Amino acid sequence: MEEMAVLDVAEERRRRRRAGDPRLSEAGREILARMTTGDLADEFQAALDADVEADPILGGHHDDAA
Amino acid sequence: MVDEYLAVRVVGGRWPEGLPDDEDLVLPASRHWRLLQRIHAPGDGQLSQLLATLSPPDRDTIRYPHPEVLQIADARPLLDEAARIAARYGGTGWLIAETLAAGLTYGRTLWFGTERNVGHVLAQAAGDLGITVHVIT
Repeated sequence: MEEMAVLDVAEERRRRRRAGDPRLSEAGREILARMTTGDLADEFQAALDADVEADPILGGHHDDAA
Repeated sequence: MVDEYLAVRVVGGRWPEGLPDDEDLVLPASRHWRLLQRIHAPGDGQLSQLLATLSPPDRDTIRYPHPEVLQIADARPLLDEAARIAARYGGTGWLIAETLAAGLTYGRTLWFGTERNVGHVLAQAAGDLGITVHVIT
């Protein structure tokens, strides 16, 4: 019985993790999707690269994006 | 341990195929910092314009991720290991050093959402340190 309860808790945590942040609106979900896997992914990567180029503490001395 | 791409996909409820779902997901603080730059110091491109339209609750999902969905690694216990890594590989910035230190601490596995976000220095050092790098697109 106790083992079943532990399994239920683990499954519920997995379900919540997969569902994403419950505070996020549908419009927000769409923007985040475009940013990571859609038409804005190149712009997102360029912005991440710019961060390391602009900040030597963050990016170091290497000629390397990340 | 995940990168910015996978963190954002998970926050958005689009679970990446192949990413294990049985453990807490952790994002290094330096990578959270890069996401926060998109929120607080936007540029003038289309991405920035769209992010500016996010409602305050939507922005909070990046600023303060829900701990059941995504956790931000506490950088303090990683500092010494990160400094050791930076010294060993020379010129490695905080982003790479902290990510590798976190990789050593959290299961010797790093998950990235695109090869472009890995970089050759991190890839080489990870191999040297026995850290596996997975890329899920």
